[in-house]
Amino acid sequence: MTSEKSGNKISIEFKNKIAYIGFGYNDSKSMTVLDEETLNELDQYADQLKIKANELDGIIFFSHKKNCFLAGADINLIASMNTEAEAAEGATLGQKIFSKIDDLKTPTVCCVHGVCMGGGLEFALSCKNIISGEDNKTSLALPEVKLGLIPGFGGTYRLPLRVGLPTALEMILSGKTIKGRKAKRIGLSAEVYPYEKLVEFAPLYFKNKTVNKEKKLFEKIEDLAQDNMITKKIIFQKARENVLKKTKGLYQAPLRILETMESGMGKSRNSYLEMESSSFGELCVSKQSQNLQHIFFMNERSKKYSGATSDNDLTLKRGAVLGAGTMGGGIAWLMADNDMFPIMKDLNEKALNLGLKQASSNFSGAVKRKKISLDEFERKMHSISAQLNFSGFKNTDLIIEAVVEKMEIKKSVFTEVENYVSDKCLITSNTSSLSVEEMASSLKNSSRFAGLHFFNPVHRMPLVEIITHENIAPETISSLYKWCIKAKKTPVVVKDGPGFLVNRILMPFLNEAGYMLEEGVSIEDLDKACENFGFPMGPCRLLDEVGIDVGSKVAKILYDGFGKRMKPSTFLNKMIDKSLLGRKTNAGFYLYDEKGKVESVNDEVVSMLPTKNIKLSETEIQMRVVLPMINEASFVLDDKIVNSSEEVDLGLIFGIGFPPFRGGLLRYADSLGGDKIKDLLNKYSESVDNERFKISPYLSNLIDKKIKLYEN
Amino acid sequence: MGLKLKDAYIVDARRTPQAKAGLDLKDVPAPFLGSYLITKMMDEHQIPTDQVDEVIMGNVGSPAKYPNIGRVIALEAGLHKKTSGYSVHRNCASGMEALSHAFLKVASGRSDLIFAGGVESMSQMPLIYSKEMTELFTQLMKSKTIPDKLKAISTFRPPFLSPIIAIVQGLTDPFCGLNMGQTAELLARELNISREEQDAWALRSHQKLIKARDEGRLDDEIVPLAIGEKLSKLLSIDIGPRADSSLEKLAKMKPYFDKKSGTVTVANSCPITDGGSALMICSEEALKKYNLEPMARIVDYHFHGLEPERMGMGPLHAMDGAFKRTNLKLEDMDLMEINEAFAAQIIAVKKGFTERKVADFFNIGTLWGEIDDEKLNVNGGAIALGHPVGSTGSRLIVTLAHELKKRKAKYGIASLCIGGGQGGACIIENLVK
Repeated sequence: MTSEKSGNKISIEFKNKIAYIGFGYNDSKSMTVLDEETLNELDQYADQLKIKANELDGIIFFSHKKNCFLAGADINLIASMNTEAEAAEGATLGQKIFSKIDDLKTPTVCCVHGVCMGGGLEFALSCKNIISGEDNKTSLALPEVKLGLIPGFGGTYRLPLRVGLPTALEMILSGKTIKGRKAKRIGLSAEVYPYEKLVEFAPLYFKNKTVNKEKKLFEKIEDLAQDNMITKKIIFQKARENVLKKTKGLYQAPLRILETMESGMGKSRNSYLEMESSSFGELCVSKQSQNLQHIFFMNERSKKYSGATSDNDLTLKRGAVLGAGTMGGGIAWLMADNDMFPIMKDLNEKALNLGLKQASSNFSGAVKRKKISLDEFERKMHSISAQLNFSGFKNTDLIIEAVVEKMEIKKSVFTEVENYVSDKCLITSNTSSLSVEEMASSLKNSSRFAGLHFFNPVHRMPLVEIITHENIAPETISSLYKWCIKAKKTPVVVKDGPGFLVNRILMPFLNEAGYMLEEGVSIEDLDKACENFGFPMGPCRLLDEVGIDVGSKVAKILYDGFGKRMKPSTFLNKMIDKSLLGRKTNAGFYLYDEKGKVESVNDEVVSMLPTKNIKLSETEIQMRVVLPMINEASFVLDDKIVNSSEEVDLGLIFGIGFPPFRGGLLRYADSLGGDKIKDLLNKYSESVDNERFKISPYLSNLIDKKIKLYEN
Repeated sequence: MGLKLKDAYIVDARRTPQAKAGLDLKDVPAPFLGSYLITKMMDEHQIPTDQVDEVIMGNVGSPAKYPNIGRVIALEAGLHKKTSGYSVHRNCASGMEALSHAFLKVASGRSDLIFAGGVESMSQMPLIYSKEMTELFTQLMKSKTIPDKLKAISTFRPPFLSPIIAIVQGLTDPFCGLNMGQTAELLARELNISREEQDAWALRSHQKLIKARDEGRLDDEIVPLAIGEKLSKLLSIDIGPRADSSLEKLAKMKPYFDKKSGTVTVANSCPITDGGSALMICSEEALKKYNLEPMARIVDYHFHGLEPERMGMGPLHAMDGAFKRTNLKLEDMDLMEINEAFAAQIIAVKKGFTERKVADFFNIGTLWGEIDDEKLNVNGGAIALGHPVGSTGSRLIVTLAHELKKRKAKYGIASLCIGGGQGGACIIENLVK
């Protein structure tokens, strides 16, 4: 046995004419990334291995870590790229190393288990064979598109060769993750094993099994069908249509990926890779990618609780939800999904059935998407105890109240529930609009109380507002924060105040839409302009979804709280009078079929609008709804509802789906520039409304001092 | 000489609502008929999940997917993985058998906290392929080449597909070849029990159960559970008892097991049913440790065998044995729960308590006396409620414990006949004053 000196990042060992090369060596972090040092070592090994080609039977790559092979290129490295050329050069550097591996004459087998993402998978693809772990902890993906990037280390070149063009496009354009056994099914791995056995069995794959494997007849036909220019053109065409449908053309990375892959067809490896790296360079420094990277980092930061820490943090194991409506059922689902054996209590069986139905429909969706098995569906549904009394509440650690939005009822619920729980149990309210401070006053021990505001639908919207009050204990906040992270939610700690963070900023958007309708802008124009800005839905659709009555109620609370600038348009009341309450009544701004799908614009509402139609440009509509949001966000910062612009953006992206490629509301504001914002606000406060567009002193001051919102 | 026995207490006792097979509970797999009951009791009494010694569950139609359902139930209930669990099978008395294990383990000082009970999803009992079809499958799996496979397939004949319904086979005695209904017919013939007597008993069962249900007397023992294909609807009452039952309607039913001259109909027999039940059994130490109030104390139990063809008389032997073992008498019993497998069978048992000739025939020395109808199956019985075989043995004790508690009474006995020719009985003492 000869032993070579291992590097700092990668181990190397020669045994019985086999080279064993291990990533994640000497590393205490749970995830191994391809940073500069790792890439350099890999480069040196590649050269050494080439020299030793004749002495070796094979080369095995593996990971020293149980849950990670390679988590991709170091994203800090990507983020540090300043120019297109610098980024493209970085990609080329990686490509060259991987091509050296690819060109080794000795058989190479890559043993993948745990996370294998981005550059990690691109490396694995440069080996002759991949074998991978069979359990779902093994996850392979090229997620670059989610950061507005193209895989830049040869992934777009090598993946189609391994799995075929259609599967490769699907993986690269969606960034989706392939888990466990599926890697073998799609041809990405030659075989799967329990992860402990991978290295032991790797030598079996020194002979190139993927090539030797006798292909089944239909696979041969499939290959033949895919292997000509015309079919490929059609495949690209289809993929492009899909991308345009899903992104409305707002995202440039998937289109750039398609362009690169299509025009690279039939080119030599080197000239293909050159195209890939130049696309990478271009995307890497693009505004969109920078915004998406910003969100990535923001989200990562939010996973660590940054507030006052406490030694008394509670682990919230058992949960209960009071009130079994849509929200209650959604929360019961979340708790059941996190193995909290939730209790769901309401006043009658009919209400309980409603909650069960909501939870069941969330789980059924997961079964349909193959996220959980039918057995898990049964187990998780049966773990919900739907009941009419407080039996078992003594065992719970977290109570979430989701009864009707009436202060008196909520207060009496808290007074009552406090008698049935242990001293350590946290009690929270999923209120969307009522004062948390006032609710807290109904509890004997209010230090354990907080607002915990989920967004509808609970299984879709990641945001949770943790609302504090005067008397709250630090461990209440930190325990809830950690629980949210564990439940895969995105928490934001906010101070109490009408509408808290997200609804407060959302309301000017909805209000302004109401005023524009009254001015004669059509429902379609309004919603379309907002969708083209990147909002998941326009204000009219959103109001239908929320419920016209609910929207109007929240609007009133905010008007009461903040006065004239939040004065709601009266149009919603007209709709409420006619019982047009939105999707729940199958009629609001739009008409809905029984499944809740939009059928058409509701003519009844159109007839209530002014007959004279005015046409505003898309940009004008967009500015009219977004500027009041930016302005209100500055009031929010001034009131210290949250501490930073980043938290505002996190809230709006994960709570209402503010277009991610814009990086968030305030990042977008910074990109518009202070002067432009001030000019437009002044213009509209003269031409439209003096109160609604009056610039906040806080924002005005920043702009005058030429300070960006994010620098503040 | 014997083991010095400690007291074993029933701290809590719950059951599912019961529903005729194929109806409301058909989508609930057997383990979930037990696990949530245990979770409920754990919560109610604030027992840490790692403090249960054992889960023992009766089950007859062991689902292929859940061998050793007792352990599955322990895990599904969210108990600590170290909690051991097993399953017992004594046919119709499986739940009572589970309870007798718990009793002995706690009484002997081995264990302090055990959940015992039974579950049965008769809706989900398997269909079994005929022996011929099974062989064909085996051949098919063995054959490697296509001609071999074709050869195996060519042996197929359509009748192979007619399934053997596990329930039907399970309800036929392998020793005497009679099905359970036929054993009831035998007792009716031998002891001269009329069709009218049987129908009257059946009517009583429905009326008592409906009354108890409407008055909410069963609410304490039943824990509602989610049902339906989507598990999105709560079931909180028993499905099966008929409020509109009458002697006229019952008289119209045709005899089922002896179509020409019989008296046993499906309406004066118990229906096959889905359901589960569980009891929390604790030692004195566990009572103190968790500050628990016991409902009742298990006094003792007795199982006894007899001719398989007269299995319906099992309760006569079992109760006789239980009385002798405990030095208690019929008069000491404030309440009795005797399972109504068949009206004919329960009427026969009553005769064995009063008629010398009958008692002699079954070698019973003591005539225990007339059973007071006011104390027997006061909330109806299996004819209305159904008989989920794995659960009934413990379900009877759940019902008995709750009713004794409501009445502040002292002793109660639960007994049932067991397919294969056995009887089981268990005496408990109410401790809630």
